[in-house]
Amino acid sequence: MNAGPCNAARLITVVVLFLALGISAGPDVYPVLAEELSARDILNKVDDLYRGTSSQGKMTMEVVTEHWKRTLSLEFRSRGKDRSLIRILAPLKEKGTATLRSGSDLWNYLPKVNRVIKLPSSMLSASWMGSHFTNDDLVKGSRFAEDYDFRISFQGMRDGQDVVELTCIPKPQAPVVWGKVEVVVRRSDYLPVATRYYDEGLRLARTMAFTNYRELSGRLLPTVMTLVPRDKPGEKTQIVYEEIRFDVVLSDDVFSLRNLQQ
Amino acid sequence: MSLLRVSWRNLWRNRRRTAITMTAIALNTLILITTYSLMGGFLKQTVRNVTQLATGEAQLHAPGYLSDRSLYKRIAYPRTVLQALGEHSIGAAPRTYGYGLVSRETKSAGALFQGVEPAMETAAFELAGHLAQGTFLAPAAHKGLVLGRKLAKSLNAEVGSEIVVLVQAADGSLGNDLFTVVGILGAVGEAIDRNAAMMHLDDFRQLFAMPEGIHEIAVNTRGRIPLDALVETLSRLAPGDEVRTWRRLLPTFSDMIELSGVSMSIFGAVFLIAAGLGIMNTMLMATYERAREFGLQKALGATPWRIVRDVTFEAWLLACVATMFGTLAGLAASYVLQTTGLNTASLAEETTISGVVFDPVWRADPTLRTVVGPVLMMWAVCVLAALYPAAMSARLDPVKSM
Repeated sequence: MNAGPCNAARLITVVVLFLALGISAGPDVYPVLAEELSARDILNKVDDLYRGTSSQGKMTMEVVTEHWKRTLSLEFRSRGKDRSLIRILAPLKEKGTATLRSGSDLWNYLPKVNRVIKLPSSMLSASWMGSHFTNDDLVKGSRFAEDYDFRISFQGMRDGQDVVELTCIPKPQAPVVWGKVEVVVRRSDYLPVATRYYDEGLRLARTMAFTNYRELSGRLLPTVMTLVPRDKPGEKTQIVYEEIRFDVVLSDDVFSLRNLQQ
Repeated sequence: MSLLRVSWRNLWRNRRRTAITMTAIALNTLILITTYSLMGGFLKQTVRNVTQLATGEAQLHAPGYLSDRSLYKRIAYPRTVLQALGEHSIGAAPRTYGYGLVSRETKSAGALFQGVEPAMETAAFELAGHLAQGTFLAPAAHKGLVLGRKLAKSLNAEVGSEIVVLVQAADGSLGNDLFTVVGILGAVGEAIDRNAAMMHLDDFRQLFAMPEGIHEIAVNTRGRIPLDALVETLSRLAPGDEVRTWRRLLPTFSDMIELSGVSMSIFGAVFLIAAGLGIMNTMLMATYERAREFGLQKALGATPWRIVRDVTFEAWLLACVATMFGTLAGLAASYVLQTTGLNTASLAEETTISGVVFDPVWRADPTLRTVVGPVLMMWAVCVLAALYPAAMSARLDPVKSM
């Protein structure tokens, strides 16, 4: 009876992970022109695509596992790269449930019992077994250009799209769990197409696909992100951005425990 | 009987030598009986702790459940199986398991939630009587929680503490609720101490949105049915399920028990060899002194076999008297160790080996095996040790020795 990683936290992790990964986009982070960029520039663009000053919006998250499938409607707010608040709007059973990330701390508000609980740090540093995400995605916030050695491994047409593929190998001391990551971007605007994560044995572990490039609040964005774990056939987690606004003014109060409980 | 009388007299020809040898054998017997009784008691108590508290003598699971403990691998017809076990008077407790979070004020920790039927759990196992604080779960669902002691400590929880519980339910939703700590377990084993959060099966079903099925049936006959027979019965009663004995569920622990048996045998062998050498020396001296006597006996028509018999009988008589005193002393020592116990708590606060907590107070358990065993072995060794001097005496040439 080992205490395995906590499956219960899967959803929280997923929710917060997306928050960390995909929601915040700051000003001037998109290449407006298809200018020639170095590999380093491309990776910085991809990293910064999801990091910025502040954002606010709504999204739908669909999680499909072997045993169940569910869709959540979520409202999110984020500021910087380590402050975010996300609240479930639907389904009704979980409406009002909220997650706050402040620095490296994670808090959950449970309206049913009207209590706030803190995710234990032992779980912050663990990877969630059986989950579509690892906790590393959530807390580490490594940067491709700084924590990896990289090179352009492919350029040209693939699946009818002109793409650039960068292969990133983590530096020995980098706080990264992967053995290799491949980042594929469109050559036209360097928006991501896919990210492939390989484990330390260099076997493909999971794939994140970016699709449905659409303008939201005047910015072109991949509005659908789909994460597919390699070892669980048929399972996936998909996020669809419904609306997003950038550079909104969000005070510290937004990301306070007091506000979490409302 | 003349053999007995003659042997007895022969033994006391050299009182001091015989008395010393007897004392040595008696002491060896005392040590062996006491140690075996103490080790036997300790192992029995430990196995009992493991099997009677919660693990059981055997467990039933859905095929493959133990490899990943998936919430979805459930025993298909638990009621039928439980009923069949009941008809065979086999104590059984149905259980469900699920991972999640427990939180109290600012503290939180991961936990392994366990849904149990308190009435069946109490009837088949002794965990309910192993509480450090509070009471066990009430027969009806009441959102009560019994925590492992280390888990309770990490949450600063006491009886009456309110605990927020958060899990991912079987339908993917977030199961959450408020529970109240009703009891905190004593030391049971690393896994339970650190992770266990037990609740009523009905509370578990609601929390995990899991209306039916269970993950485990733990079986306990309190030693009434031998393991092999139990496995056979269980396989017959629950054909679709996996049957695992505690030895397979806790392989490291099981190996350790086996190993301690081997080390006790080695320990015993050393003492027996020492005793054997003692008696061999005594008998060699005794027969050497009586060379003339044996020569005369042979001259008068005694067969070599008769001399061998006389000498070995003498050795056995010596062992017999010595082990009698040794047994009395051993029984007395075992009795004291059984009633007051040997408290090892001063050596180590708590001994945990492969996740099993050992009781710091060791209690001897003198059985037929731990008392009669050493005595019989001592007799055998004494007779064997006497064979050499006996053979020497039997081979004496009457003319030369006289």
